[in-house]
Formats: sequence, C-alpha cells, structure tokens
Amino acid sequence: MTAVAGLLARRRGRALRVLPLIEIGMLLVALVTPFVLGERTALVTLATNVLILSMLAISFDLCWGMSGIMSFGQALFFGVAGYVIALVGRDLEFSHIWGTLPLAAVTGFLLAGLLGAFLLLGRRTPTVIFVALGTLTGSYAAERLVSGWQYVGAGNGLSSVKLLQAGSYEFVEGVEFYFLALGVLLLVYIAARILKGSQLGLVLAGMRQNEERLAFFGYRVQLFKALVFAQAGAVAGIAGALYSYHQGFIGPGNMGPGLSTTAVLYCLFGGTGTLIGPVIGTAAVEVITYLLADIDAIKRIWPILLGLVLLAVVMFQPKGILGIFVSDRERIGSYGVRTEGQE
Amino acid sequence: MDEVVRLVFDILAFTSVMVLIVLGLGVIASMMGIFNFAHGEFVLLGAYTVFLFHESGLPVWTGILAAPLVLAVFGLVLERTVIRRFYAAPIIAMLGTYAIGLVIRESVRGLLGGLYKSIPEPLPGVYSLGGIDFSSWRTVILVVTAAVIAGSWLMLTRTSIGLQIRGSLENPALARSCGIATPKLYALTFAFGSALAGLAGALIVPLYQLSADIGLRFLVQAFLSVMLGGVGTFEGPVLGAAAVGATAAGLPWLVIPVLADPLVFVLALAIVRFRPQGFITQGRL
Repeated sequence: MTAVAGLLARRRGRALRVLPLIEIGMLLVALVTPFVLGERTALVTLATNVLILSMLAISFDLCWGMSGIMSFGQALFFGVAGYVIALVGRDLEFSHIWGTLPLAAVTGFLLAGLLGAFLLLGRRTPTVIFVALGTLTGSYAAERLVSGWQYVGAGNGLSSVKLLQAGSYEFVEGVEFYFLALGVLLLVYIAARILKGSQLGLVLAGMRQNEERLAFFGYRVQLFKALVFAQAGAVAGIAGALYSYHQGFIGPGNMGPGLSTTAVLYCLFGGTGTLIGPVIGTAAVEVITYLLADIDAIKRIWPILLGLVLLAVVMFQPKGILGIFVSDRERIGSYGVRTEGQE
Repeated sequence: MDEVVRLVFDILAFTSVMVLIVLGLGVIASMMGIFNFAHGEFVLLGAYTVFLFHESGLPVWTGILAAPLVLAVFGLVLERTVIRRFYAAPIIAMLGTYAIGLVIRESVRGLLGGLYKSIPEPLPGVYSLGGIDFSSWRTVILVVTAAVIAGSWLMLTRTSIGLQIRGSLENPALARSCGIATPKLYALTFAFGSALAGLAGALIVPLYQLSADIGLRFLVQAFLSVMLGGVGTFEGPVLGAAAVGATAAGLPWLVIPVLADPLVFVLALAIVRFRPQGFITQGRL
C-alpha cells in the first residue's frame, strides 16, 4: 500500500495516471485467479472464456474506440477464423500452435481488410450508418450461409475440434490453456497499446476529433481506418481460433450479429477507447451471467436485463465503468504540450 | 403460364410486406436521422399482439386491427421517454435502439417460452380468377399495403400536417421558427412508423410462424432497402423495398436457397456501395 501511495505522491506534481494502475491490477488478478480457483475446472473454463472474449472486445475497441468504425460484425472474423482452424484440424490434421494461430490472425486480417476496403475505401466517404450496416449485414449473411452449408456442418457447426498442439503437448481445458490465453491476450494487449501510443495512434486520435480536418492535412483518413479495421480483424481471428480450440466447437452462432453485439456490450460497459475497459467489461458481464445462471428466476430474464443495462449505459454513462475513474484526457490519449485546465 | 402468374403474385405479396416495414423505417430515418435498430422487433411486437388476441379467444382480425394501435402507443411512449434523447447523436441512437430491440426480443422469447407458434389465416382459402387460384389472405395483404401507401402519400402531399412534415424535413430550424412544433411532429412520426411496423407484423404472422427471431431478418432487409432507395424521400424506400423484396422472393428460384439469402444482402450492399445516394436522390418527401 505504501509503495502505491509513494508512487502516487511522486507523480502528483505531474499527471495522476489511473489507467496503468488499473492495468497492473487487472494483470495481478488474472495471474492469481487460476491459483485461487484451483481444482474447480468449471470456473477455470469460465475464466479462460473471459480472456478469449476479452480479445474480441478489444478488437471491437480498436474499431470503435480508436478509429470510429461502428462495427456490428466483429464476430464475423472471430467465427470465420474459428471455422478455418477447425477445418484445418479436421481435413489436414494440423493444429500446431506456431502454424494455426498465425493462420487465424492472417485469416482475420485479410477478411477484415477486404471488408474494410469494400466498405471504407472509395471516392466517396461512407457514412457511419453504412459502415455499421455493412458489417452487420456481412456478419448476418455469413451466419445464414454457414448454417446452410453441409461441408462445414451446417446448423450444427463443427464439434470435437482437434486439440491445439505445441510440439507433442496438447492443450486441453484447464490451467495450462488459461495461461496460454492469458499470454496471447497480453501480447495482443501490448500490441494494441503500442498502436495506440504510436504515430498511427496519434493520427487516429486526430481523426476521432475532426476527421475532415485531418483529411485536409493530407491524411488518407479512410485508408487508416481500413488498416486499423484489418488489424482488429486479426485480433478477432486469434480470439476465434482460441475459442474454437478451447470449446472444441464452433457454430454459426459464433459469427452472427448476436455475438457481434455482445462484443459491443462488453466494450461499452467497460469503457470504450481505453483497451482495458473492454477486458473489465467482458469479465464483469460474463461473471455476473455465470453467477445468475444458478438462480432460475433471474436466469430467465437475464438477457432482458442485459439489454436494459446496455440501454442505461448508452443513455447515462456512455464512457462506461472506467469513465467514472479515468479522466477524459487520459481515456482518449494525451499528446503534445499539456495545457492548464485540461484535467 | 399459371406458374409464372402465381410466382409473380407470391413475390408481390412478400414485397408488399417489405414495403410496409420499410416505409415505417424510412419515415423515421428521413425525419429524425435515426436508424431504428428496434424496428424488426416492432414487427415482432405487432405479430405478438395478434398472437395474444388469438390466445385469449378473440378473432384474429381484431388482433390485426389492434396491432397498429398498440404499436403506435408503444412508439409514442418510447419516443417521449428514450428516443428523443438520441436525436443529436445518430450513432448513440443506433446502439440505444439496438438495446431496446434486444429487450423486446428477449422479453417476447421469454413470454413465448422459446416455442414456435402458428396463427390461422383470418381469411383462409383461395379464390379463382381466370382459372388460376389466388390465396385470399395474400390478396388482403396486397390491398392493405396499396391502401397504406396511397394514404401516406395523400397525407404527405395533400394535408396541412403533411406540409408541416415536409417543411421540417427540409429545414428543421426554419420550420421551428415558423411555429411548427417539430418535437411533436417527431413523436407523431415515430408513432406512425411504429404503427406501420405493427401492421406489417400483424399481417404476416399468419404466413410465418411466430418466433422471437423473425425481427432480425426483416431488420437487415429493411435497412438495405432504405439505403438502396435513398433516405429522405418517400418513393425511395418504397422502391428499395420493392427491389429487395422481389429479389429475396425471386432469387430462390434461380440459385440454391442456401446461397440466395446471403446473395440478396451482398447484392444490395454492393449497389449501395456504388450508389450511396440511393435510387431517388432529391429529398422531397
């Protein structure tokens, strides 16, 4: 405690940064969790799921929070990558980690790149509504297509996905898979943080404030958006692959608008644009869902409650939970000379 | 020949339902700039109202009459309490209306118990015309849609409230300064759009089975229709709905059904991509 207080005191003269503290706190919680849960496998599975879905939420945050693309189709890349991995396991009997996870990332990147290029690039600037609708449509069309396609298992999806291998070791549900997911999440998170703090992130921050002005400066705004969209697709792809391996199953529902909008909910609930917010949001929503699943009376109305929570967040707390603790400047990212009265 | 006539008739019937849904969505989008993601669920609520009437032993047609009224009141209350906060921010509106849709869908799912329910056609049977059998109920749908389109058109072009609506669409600030109460008009428009969705839901529920998920499909198709036709016009969404509805109903005859459904979306999206202003450009509702 004293160390934290000392750290706070030392930094008080400058900016009081809350986000790094929250990030460190979350990391500690994530590291300790499996040891606390120990042998309760159901809970370890839940925790692993939270980590994997966090990546999907981060991927949405990259779109919406960082570059202002309202994507209602993030699950499309999640689901397609999951299917690709499952098919590679089934038909080529290959599931080595060094090959499949990059393959998932590339799948997500290319698919999102194509969709992003189609929706965003062009002579005319697309409206936000068109992009939102385009992603939603893509996700919905893919779900319909897959649920009628016998080769990929139609409505039943693909089950008993080949286990993820590292050398001769096979990952099954449990603590090992948890730490694998945590490791991947950390890598993704750090990459996203670097992206946010980089020069590209600076352009994105400018775009969020005034897209037109950036365009007049000579930046090809839509190209930047498409690039970030593709990267977000890669993140969603990795998450989808891990999900597919972890559950041993992937189905049409994993690429539809349902999961896409759940990702939106995670992100908005936690706080958009912060990167750690989506992780917190995912953990909060999933854990509460799990706790309430035992109570029959609430379990029935829980989806309704989730909708109401989303509505309440949108109406009254658009910055999410983190918006309560984190200043706007820190949330959005700070660049350039600090001026008085901005905090 | 008989086959062709019957096919055209079926496509027309399906298309007219799309037109009803899209008209409601388009009117709201044009007036307030809000894309109502809960619109599919309004259709669902209309269908559910008919189901409730049917369950309680009343004739189905009373339910069909009641559905637009119920939805109009529902829309009015919703606009007064929630939707009006979103006018300044269309993206927030999208999320907010999506949340509303989620709440409605899950509530109906809970009430139905996840089952599929079917409701008998209030006007069953067929009639013959020139040796070809036509379904009576589908004819009713066609006639009602034509009447609604004509009625809305007359209201917009011939009445004073229509003039006010056109005025505040063209220039809200000027309309307000002329003494037109735009908030009231917005509330009315929203209620009207909701009522159309309710009517559409009530009319189609005898044809489809009632389940909580019917809304989403209509939502995506209706959105594409509005974008296809052009926001801010009256004819645009109607034309767009006709195009999407006809393609959606006709395409399964040309390609395998599995591909047909996604193909409609991809086609429509591609057209919107290259002609974002829609079929009808000029905003002259």
